[in-house]
Amino acid sequence: MTEIKHHAYLFDATRCIDCRACMVACSVENNIEMDKTRIWVAGLGVTGEYPNLQRGTMVYHCMHCEHPDCMSACPVGAYTKAEDGPVSYNPDVCIGCRYCMNACPFGVPHFDYDKGIIDGAFIDKCTFCPQRIYNGQEPACVATCPTDALEYGDRDELIQRAHERIAAHPDRYIDHVYGEHENGGTSYLIISHVPFKDLGLPELPETPINEVSEKVMEMTIPFALSWGAVLTAVSAGVAMYDNNKKKNGKSAEEKKAEEPK
Amino acid sequence: MTQTISRRDFLKIGAAAVGALAVGAMLPPKVAEAARAAGTIDSQGNGYVHSMCEMCVWRCGLIAKVVDGKVVKLDGNPEHPHSRGNLCPRGQSGLMNTYDPDRVLTPLVRVGKRGEGLFRQASWDEALDLVASKMTEIKDKYGAEAMVFSSTHNLSQPLFENLLYAFGSPNYGTQRSLCFNAMIVSNLMTYGMEEPERIYDDKLKYIILTGRNLLEAISTSETHDLIMAIDRGAKVVYLDPRYTKTASKATEWLPIKPGMDLAFHLALLNVVIGERLYNRWFVEQHTVGFDELKKEVARYTPEWAAPLTGIPAETITRIAHELADAAPHVLVHNGWRTSNFINSFHTQRAISILNALMGNWNVTMTAAAAEGAGLGAPPQPPYPRVSTLRLDGVPWKYPIVPFKIGVFQELRDNIVKGDPYQAHGWFISRQNPIMSLPDRAKTLEAFGKMDFIATVDIIMNDTAWFSDVVLPEASYLERYDPLLPVGDKAFIRQPVIEPQGEAKSALWIYKQLGTKLGLGDFFQYEDEEDYLRQQLKPLGASLEEVKKKGYAEMPEGEPAGFTWSTPSGKIELYSDTLAKVGFSGVPTWEEPPQPKEDQFYLLTGKVAQSTQFGTQNNQLLHKYSDEPRLWMNARTAANLGLATDDWVEVTSEVGQIHIKLLATEAIRPDCVYMTPGYGHLSKGLTTAFGVGASSSVLHVTYADPISGGQALSQTFVTVKKA
Repeated sequence: MTEIKHHAYLFDATRCIDCRACMVACSVENNIEMDKTRIWVAGLGVTGEYPNLQRGTMVYHCMHCEHPDCMSACPVGAYTKAEDGPVSYNPDVCIGCRYCMNACPFGVPHFDYDKGIIDGAFIDKCTFCPQRIYNGQEPACVATCPTDALEYGDRDELIQRAHERIAAHPDRYIDHVYGEHENGGTSYLIISHVPFKDLGLPELPETPINEVSEKVMEMTIPFALSWGAVLTAVSAGVAMYDNNKKKNGKSAEEKKAEEPK
Repeated sequence: MTQTISRRDFLKIGAAAVGALAVGAMLPPKVAEAARAAGTIDSQGNGYVHSMCEMCVWRCGLIAKVVDGKVVKLDGNPEHPHSRGNLCPRGQSGLMNTYDPDRVLTPLVRVGKRGEGLFRQASWDEALDLVASKMTEIKDKYGAEAMVFSSTHNLSQPLFENLLYAFGSPNYGTQRSLCFNAMIVSNLMTYGMEEPERIYDDKLKYIILTGRNLLEAISTSETHDLIMAIDRGAKVVYLDPRYTKTASKATEWLPIKPGMDLAFHLALLNVVIGERLYNRWFVEQHTVGFDELKKEVARYTPEWAAPLTGIPAETITRIAHELADAAPHVLVHNGWRTSNFINSFHTQRAISILNALMGNWNVTMTAAAAEGAGLGAPPQPPYPRVSTLRLDGVPWKYPIVPFKIGVFQELRDNIVKGDPYQAHGWFISRQNPIMSLPDRAKTLEAFGKMDFIATVDIIMNDTAWFSDVVLPEASYLERYDPLLPVGDKAFIRQPVIEPQGEAKSALWIYKQLGTKLGLGDFFQYEDEEDYLRQQLKPLGASLEEVKKKGYAEMPEGEPAGFTWSTPSGKIELYSDTLAKVGFSGVPTWEEPPQPKEDQFYLLTGKVAQSTQFGTQNNQLLHKYSDEPRLWMNARTAANLGLATDDWVEVTSEVGQIHIKLLATEAIRPDCVYMTPGYGHLSKGLTTAFGVGASSSVLHVTYADPISGGQALSQTFVTVKKA
């Protein structure tokens, strides 16, 4: 393997056999709890009518976008995009607002509702296995893949490899490398024999969403301040109402219960 | 699986398991000591250890990451030809078998009624004394043949065989007749070997897979080979009544009618021979019996096969042409679980012969090295002579089935019948016959005939649950097994961590039991390491070096030539051996039974997330498995008023189950399918118990009369709303 300037994955849907070795490998490598996962199977599965059938599935995890929407949406800077590719998440600063979940066009960040705010670490997603890639190993999901459906390497090289493979078998592949340009580019690249929307992938413009969203997000602080003022007023009003109720001695429900039947 | 199980965390389990093992911890830490001596683990108990997977029988090489004396990750060993750096989901999940909270960690002796699940802990000494005294009592009273031994293919099997042959029992049950007897016996009759090795090189152009669901029943390197062959543009024709994941990657999927694979392959032979498309030079030089074959297959035209198989005659003819055009770079795969119908032996013979006619020997097929060849072994005396009849009908009913293979379902049937004599004891290792044999009610009946049952296992599998004594084996990450030569290397399985609790290796258990039975001469090794040293002796390699590298270099065997260990020394298209015992010497048509109008073929098969009947309790595999449901064609289901997730009652001649339905386009309308290995009886399997239903409850026992293979798809069922 040549030097990797920009870490990336290439997923080839024609090779994936949906065996889920990657999912188990990720669970073990990252010590994921038994009811959680960082990798999912997506896609329509078997389509058509017997006996004219087709199958399209994809495994995916964090796409490690070049312009991560999670990062733009995060009000506290819990996400970072490394120059060499990985998008990482810092649980220590996360406040659990879940904006990133709404912002991610791929639905990747997951909130841990069991842990709650006190336990910390609210969001879970693929880390790109830094403990492996910076020690000369492939990410766990890639290393174990029995059919080389998942490959790992330098982003430019993988893009080139993807185009070469498509060119060698134009009858087999759709002539497109998903993630080369979508949303300004991702570090999880996908080639496929079925339409990308059948794999569950959104149609995204080449301009990153967050070029738009960041403009909106710039508004969030003044917006939050003014919305905060409104909320404070409302809550003061509610408190006054409650106090008035207590002065009357009885709540509306209690009064209702006493009404003659 | 959608439902979640109790949340657990590996390291926590590992810590708890180690914590619970005060007794084991008192023993000297031999594993760590040896690992440190070999330089694989540092003084803190951290490091990487090379070993071999045992989540199926493919035996991939693995590298285990050990932190603080606990195994935390397994990766494929790039140097091992079976893994090439990869592991399948089962291999990846292997450490969860070891850290299964349901592990049996001390010997157990039954105190309640059989099947009630009440046991008390016992010391090894007490448990082994009990097993030895019961076995001796049965031998003294009824003869050694009254003890049945059964085990499934594994690396310590030679020592298991020592135990039974030295004890003097002819009764040996293996899994093979429930799996691939048809293929093995067919290859023995044709090539004089059990299974030729397959070669997927760059030139391979055409592959026919007959129900070999290689992309779900994963053999890591061969699965990789197939995907890469497809990538390079090889054509794959796949026959299966189900649209499996393999079907979805094949160039052509033929949803053939079950039981009719033989008709398809006979028709291919008809075209290949009729149109003289075979390799004439190869056939003349290297085969015998071509004329008899030619005469027999003349009547099996594609037009004859079309209505039987449901595949148009033109398609069959075209495939025969394409196959011959691509020869010799073609592979007609025998398949693995090949015993499906009573005609499966002839199907396998037709496939073996088709390869020979393509002249692909030493191109895409070659001789496989024998297991254990080239290694040393401890000395041992000859086995006592045994002249008692075997209960499984070999060879008196099945004259050409090898002794080592046997006919397990017939063994069980004759235990129930007490014919030709009554068996009284059963010693079982690494096997779960309650789940794997067809007709579970009958297997339980056979268990009821036993005065004594002992089982060696790592968890409380169903068979252990119904046993009198359970002997806890160390998991494959905790023990040594004999070395396995692959190509020019002999690979090691060695302990990666200390055995938990009082679990022991099979090498240790068999030796101790053998010694207590007075058969110590058959186990002339001090301990596991001594056994391996004796194996390594001819190679001149030290155990420490092998432990560190993961393998010993071996002189590579001679490349296979053009001779075969058949009576004629050639590939036998016509087999005199078969003819002499009254079977057809060439493959011939046998009509398999078909379901009645309101019945379905019951198909079973494999998924990538489980192996047979022993891995369903692995929490990691459970996590990523689909919910086990009964597949039915969507239109058929709609006609019956059934929808996905409806509970249905499935009834065969011998049993009934309740299971959820999956209405899908991916199966023939006359078939239903279920994944075997679910519906466990043992409540000692806390993850697997209560999940799905068992196909073994429904399977009717039929043996192919030639190979003895259980006709696993010859069970017909009715389905209605529960």
